[in-house]
This record gives sequence, structure tokens and C-alpha cells, in this order.
Amino acid sequence: MNGVSASDLVLLLPELILVGTCLVLLLAARPIQANRAVPLALVGTVLAAVAAAVASGWLLSRGAATGFGGMFRVDGYSQFFKLLITATLVLTALFSVRSIEDEKLPRAEYFVLLLLASTGMMFAASALDLLTLYLGVELMTLCAYILVGIRVERPKSNEAAIKYFLLGSFASALLLYGISLTYGVTGATDFGGIAQALSEGDGENPILLLGIVLVAAGLAFKIAAVPFHAWAPDAYEGASTPVAAFLAAGFKAAGLAALGRVCLIAFHTESQLLSMALTGLAALSIIVGSLMALSQTDMKRLLAYSSIAHAGYALLGLIAGTSEGTSATMTYAFFYVFMTLGTFGVVIALGERGQKLDGYQGLAVQRPVTAALMLLFLLSLTGIPPTAGFVAKFVVILSAVRAGHTTLAVVAVVCSVVSAFIYMRVAVLMYMKEPEEPAPSRIPMAISAALGLAALVTLIGGLFPGGLTSWAVAP
Amino acid sequence: MTAYPILTAATFLPLVGAALILLIRSDRAARWMALTTTLATLALSIPLYLGFDKTSSALQFVESAEWIPSWGIAYSLGVDGISLPFIFLAAVLSVLCIGASWAAVRTRVREFYAALLVAETAMIGLFAASNLFLFYMFWELMIVPLFLLIGVWGGPGRIYAAVKFLLFTLSGSVLMLVGMIALYQSLGTLDFKALADAPSSLSPEQQAWLFAAFLAAFAVKVPMFPVHTWLPDAHTEAPTAGSVILAGILLKMGAYGFLRVSLPVLPDGAQLFLKPMLVISAVAIVYGAYVTLVQKDVKRLIAFSSISHMGFVTLGIFTLNRSGVEGAILQMINHGIISAALFLCVGMIYERTHTRQIQDYGGVAKVAPIYSTLLALFCLAAAGFPGLNSFVGEFLIVGGAFQTSGWLGAMAIWGVVLGTTYLVWLFYRMVMGETHPGLAGLRLELNAREVATLAPLALLALCLGLYPECVLSYLRAPVAELLAGVPR
Repeated sequence: MNGVSASDLVLLLPELILVGTCLVLLLAARPIQANRAVPLALVGTVLAAVAAAVASGWLLSRGAATGFGGMFRVDGYSQFFKLLITATLVLTALFSVRSIEDEKLPRAEYFVLLLLASTGMMFAASALDLLTLYLGVELMTLCAYILVGIRVERPKSNEAAIKYFLLGSFASALLLYGISLTYGVTGATDFGGIAQALSEGDGENPILLLGIVLVAAGLAFKIAAVPFHAWAPDAYEGASTPVAAFLAAGFKAAGLAALGRVCLIAFHTESQLLSMALTGLAALSIIVGSLMALSQTDMKRLLAYSSIAHAGYALLGLIAGTSEGTSATMTYAFFYVFMTLGTFGVVIALGERGQKLDGYQGLAVQRPVTAALMLLFLLSLTGIPPTAGFVAKFVVILSAVRAGHTTLAVVAVVCSVVSAFIYMRVAVLMYMKEPEEPAPSRIPMAISAALGLAALVTLIGGLFPGGLTSWAVAP
Repeated sequence: MTAYPILTAATFLPLVGAALILLIRSDRAARWMALTTTLATLALSIPLYLGFDKTSSALQFVESAEWIPSWGIAYSLGVDGISLPFIFLAAVLSVLCIGASWAAVRTRVREFYAALLVAETAMIGLFAASNLFLFYMFWELMIVPLFLLIGVWGGPGRIYAAVKFLLFTLSGSVLMLVGMIALYQSLGTLDFKALADAPSSLSPEQQAWLFAAFLAAFAVKVPMFPVHTWLPDAHTEAPTAGSVILAGILLKMGAYGFLRVSLPVLPDGAQLFLKPMLVISAVAIVYGAYVTLVQKDVKRLIAFSSISHMGFVTLGIFTLNRSGVEGAILQMINHGIISAALFLCVGMIYERTHTRQIQDYGGVAKVAPIYSTLLALFCLAAAGFPGLNSFVGEFLIVGGAFQTSGWLGAMAIWGVVLGTTYLVWLFYRMVMGETHPGLAGLRLELNAREVATLAPLALLALCLGLYPECVLSYLRAPVAELLAGVPR
């Protein structure tokens, strides 16, 4: 391997912007904490995210490139996810204005953790080597452990963080073990080397198969696919709501990005095994996620199970093992992020009242616009046109049918009716019941702006999906 | 051809109206805005009927624009003789819905009219769509406003009815989604015309599965016999305008789907399912009629009668002969007019008496002669009285049924007899005899607005009854082409 050159560092520009902002925020932590009037840390984070998005776009315009001795890849695929991750960061940061105030979170540290976690996600999206992948994924997960437990004075938050940490470490161990087994058999950790070794005939080695399954399992944990989902409801419930939104949206995007590239490039010769494993994960996630959500009364737990089901839908695209299927998953991830962030955004906007399902009673009378936005996001999660959720569902089911999994497609759509029942229960409460609680307090500007952005993408994406679907190109 | 995209304008004008209604503040202005929008939409659609070439079976007023190029899906609209009457019906009924809700809806008025107008966009768009993707979009879009109309402005059991409606229709339509995707995967297009021209590449087994998938969606909407149970609840609990849209248009969407997708695109599949479809249609006619006989709630009675009447429609469609199919389409229009009128009649009297139990009525003729006359007209029309519209449709369907099998014809006749019985008996119990003491002191007679709401439907019922050619002439060419593609 050659040393690191300046041209390598340029490829890291978006990540460097985020890390640089982290350092500035840490150095200026004291004045930030003292100055309550101007949300300096928030503005800094949003600006950094926008700059990182611009830098990602600029790098893409220079053409695809590989750096750091073949460990780091900048191409349409990675930049697609980087834009998505920066969008997640911007929306989460805007959603956080109220909880920082109400829950007295340490301002600087909170945003630093968000920025670092996003950096990890970006590395995962660009990884062309199992070790880069592991580093990226671990960076985001470590930040997430702290973010979940950042409400130190709340026992529930601490409990959630510990649970998440224990299960998460186990999953990281699985991932690492899978990487080491793969390395043991193929003698390579970079995707190209693994693919070459596999095509030369190590494909039947049982140790390798175990390694592949373990890598897939480790990544399935990150996107909370069943049976690696147990942490999600507890972590979401215990975490501050913006953090839960960040986990639900960003983690899925990054995990899917990593999984997509691993399946399509490193292990593409093993597509039969992967397809089997992913079919199981997808079917279980969709069924369990939809059914478990039925009995939830806590909004965050409900959304946690819904996000588990959506992870299953997103995996439908990867089963095919084709670039068409992968781009279907990319489209799904993109729209999923915005509609999930939007739903969480409404939960956040309603404050304490938004946490319980009963809190939505009569919302349409008190806050018609907020209720209409929630209805839009819920329809999108259900997959009813003309929202983006329908387009997302259409592409992944098309991909499943193309791969010959028609039965799986039928299972998926039938479960979407089950989940429709849950989502529409919220709509019933909002529109068809009389309010029992006083109207929620005014929604801060930042949250309204973020909600508006999410709604815009959900609606435009559903009406004119052409632009995005042609942009979601697999590696 | 006209100078402007007339179908697009007619489809999306109500949506624009809905957006404007949400922006204005006053309920009064919202009502007028809604009325203006629906009237403008009706006016806008008039050039369609005037400029339509009845001799051609091709799509007319075609509009096409690139929409999702990467999937090869276009935004394409167009009408033929089958869809055109439904656009007219949807535009007319929307105006009448506004009239019927003028005084009845007092809560969340703006949202109510906005939902009605969104439903109008979905209805017109569905019948104007010339590719399956767009058709599906409007099909699903229709669910949302109706779910809200039933659930927010409905009767006491509205939430149960709304959720039941949603789950039934959604269960059907997600299977249609898989069917649509499978069609797209095998044939590479979703354009109705292109799909119909390329059926030979699908094996009979594939066609059978696809037919079943589409059947799930269409059968729920019609509704056909075993999946009809959402209908009585939804129709009964919905506000009058909701019932009118449900009975007038929504039920026709399923039957229209058979004509647009199942028969032309999947002829072999239709062939395979032909006998079961005929049998369950006959069952729906007779079973629906018997259940209707024993209803004690006026609105529920009319709702159940729809099951029987829609049984005639599916029976006619699956006879696959000219008389049956033309009769079925005509009967769809007829049922749209009559059941809408009957629901309006029930709604108008319910606003005064606040009861829907038949036993609480009696002798209405003495206190409300105009109302009673109109109700008599619509009851007779629904029963298939000669000179009124249903007679022609039922006559054609029964004729078609006899061509297919004597048994089916006999069942259909029996259905007509039962239909006459429950309608005449309903009329007898409500309108004839001594005035029920509970009605004393109520002003039951219709006001001018209500008469103006019912009059167009009475006029249509008479027109179609005396001169059915005004619809049948549109149907001749497209039905001939449809049947030419289906083996018998």
C-alpha cells in the first residue's frame, strides 16, 4: 500500500468538514453552554451538514474515485447516501431545539456526538474494505450508545443505553468475527480482493459461509432487522425523541448502504446464500414488525416496530442481488428516511403529548396543519399514493417479483395492510375523536421548517419520482 | 381536439378548489367555493360529450406527457365510450353532493368540502386514466377522502365503519398492486392499450393468477358476494354525500376495472373464472335481495339493495355477450343515478326526523307530497319499472343471462321480483297509510334547494328510461371491440 496523499484527503472532504466542526464545538463548549439565546451549536451543525452535502456533490462531479489504497470509495452510490445522511443530520439537529431546552442536554456534546455518528455513517457508505466498514459502523454505534443515554438523570434512558450497549457490543463482535473468518479464508479484507478470491474457488468453504452470515447478521443488527431487532423498541423509548429519529433514519440508511455494497461487490458470487439469508430477514422483519406494532400504545415503540418492518421492506431490494434491486433499496432508504423523520418530527412537535398514542385525540381540531402533516407521513408509511412511500414500496416489490419471490411480495403487501391498521389508528384518533387535552404549545420555527422539508420530499417524491429513481444508481 | 388539455383540467380543477377552500376562513365562502368548483368542472367536461366521436372505439381526447421516464411510465389520459358516461356521472353527482350537504354539515365545514373535492379528482382521474399505474394512483387516492368522510362526518358507528372500509379496500388493492407489478414485469408496460394488445405472451396459468389478484381488488369495490360486508356499514354510517359517492361512483370503480383490465388484458384468465363469477353474481342478486327485504333501517335497506343491483352488473359483464355487457354498463350508470337519489331522499328526511327506522315513518305522503312523488319515482326506477332507466339495463342483462344459461336468467328474474317487492314495500311502509304520530309537527316537505338537488336525477332517470340510446350509443363501438378480444 502506498502512503496517504493529498488527493486521498480531498476524497474525505465531507467527513473532514464534520470532524472539524466537532473539534470547534468541543473547544467552544463552554461559551456555547453559557450562551442560551443563540443556538450556536445548532447553527454550526446545520451549516457543517450543508457544507458536507455540497462537498459530497462536488466530489461526485469530479467523477468516481478510490483512495487510501483501495479502502475508500467515492462514487454515485456513496454520495447518494452521504447526501441522505447529511439531510438526516440537518433534520435531526433542527428537531433537537426543543428537547435540548426541556431536557437540559449538554449542547455542545450533543451536537458533537451527532456529527461524529454521521461521520461514521459516511465512512460506512464509502467503505470498500471490511475494516473501513467496521470502523465506520462502530463510530456511529459508539456515538449512539451515548446519545441514547444522554438524559443522565432519567433511569429509563440509562437502562435503554445499557441494554443497547450490551446487545450492540455482541453484534459488533459478530461482525468482527465474520470479518476475521472471511479474512482467514480469502486472505483479503478489501471487497475487490474478497470477490476475486471467491471467484477463484473458495466459495464452498463452510468457514467462509459462516463468515458471510456473521457479517450479514452484524449489519442486520444495525438496521434492526428481525431477529436482531430486540434493542430498537427499548432504545427508542428510552432515548430523547430526536435521537430516536436519528437512530431510525440514519442507522437504517448507513446500514443498508454498507449491506448493499458488501452484498453486491464483496460477496456477489455467494448471492444464493445471501439471497436466502436476506429473504429470511426481510420476511421476519416485515411480519414481526407489523404484528408487534399492533399492540403498542407508546408512540416511539410503535414507530420502532414500524421501522423494523420498514427495514424488511428495504431488504426486499437486496434479495435479488442485482444492481437494479440495489437501486430499489436505495430509493426505499431515501424516502423512508424523510417520511420517518417527518413522523418523528410531529411526535417531537407535540412535546410530552406526542409520546402516547392517546395524546393524538382530536389533534385535527386543535392543530389542523400538524394533523394533516402527520396524516401525510402516515399515508406514506402505509404506502398509499401519491406519497413517496408508495413509490418506495412499488420499486422494492417490483424487485422482489423480478427475483421470482412473488410469494414474499404477497406477504409483504398483506403485512402492509396490517400496518395500515396501526397507522390509521393514529389518523382515527386525530380526526375522529374529540380532544381531551389542551392544545399543544406553539411549535418552534426550526421544527416547523424541518417538518416542511420532510413533507415536501414525501409529496414531491410521490408525484415525480422520476428524478430520484434515475439518480439511485447501484455501485 | 380542443385547445387545452381538457381531461387534465377536469381532473385537477377540484383539487385546486380543495386547496383554495383550505386557504379561506369562512364556512359560507367554502360552500360557495365548492359549488362553484364542481359546477365549473361539470361545465368543463361538456366539450367532452359534444366533441366525442361515437363511431370510434379508440381513446379520444388523449393527453400524454413524460412522467417517470426511467420506468417507461407516462402520464396519459384518454376517454372512450365506456369511461365517458362515468366522468359525466361523477361530475353531476359531485355537484349534487354539495347541494345535499349545504345545511346538513355543520362541523368542520371547510375540511368536509375539501375532502369531497379531492374525492372528485380521484373519481374523474380514475375514469380518465389510460394506463394502469395512473389508474392505481387514483384508485388508492379515492380511499383517503372517503375514509375521512365516513369517519369524521358519519353516524354513531362511523369509526368502525370507516376502519372496516379502509381495511377491506386496502386488502384488495394491495393484491392489485402485486398483480400490476407482475404485469409490468412480464409485459414491460402498463398502458391499457399496449397491455390489451399483448396478451398472448402470458401463459393461461399466469393469467389466472393475475386475474385472481385483480379480482381481489375489484370484487371488494363492487362489492361481490362474500366480500360485501363492509358496504352496509360504510353506506349506513357515511354522511349523505359520502353515501352518494360510495353508491354512485365507488362501487362502479370495481366493475369498471373488470372492463378495463381483467377482460381485455387477461382474456384467458377471465375464461377460467367465468363460471364462478356468474354463479356468485347470481348469488349476490338473490341473497342481497332477501337480506334487503328484512332490513328495518331505511339507509341500510338501500345499502343492501346495492349488493343485489351490483350483482346484476357483474352478471351482465361476465355473460360476455353484447346485450349483457352493454346492459351492465348502462345499469352501472342507472344504479349510480338511482341509489344516489335514494340516499339523498333518505338523508333529506333524516335531517328532519333524526331517525332511520322504517317503523318511525308512515303516511309521509300526506305531509310531504313533493317528497313522496320524487321518492315514488326513484323507488319505481330502482325496481325496474318500464319507462324508467333501470328497466332497460335490467332487460338487457336478463336477456344476456338467458343467452348464457336459462338458470342464470331465472335467478336474475327472481332478483327483479324481489327487488320490486322490497322497494314497493318500503314505499308502502314509509309513505302510505296514516301519518305516524312521531312525525306530527315536523316540516317534512322539501325546500327549493333540495328539490333542485333531486330534480336533475329525476330528469336523468326519465331521460335514460325513455331514450337509453343516449348512453348506449356511446357503448356500441368500445363494447364490440372489447368482446372481439375475449374468446367465448
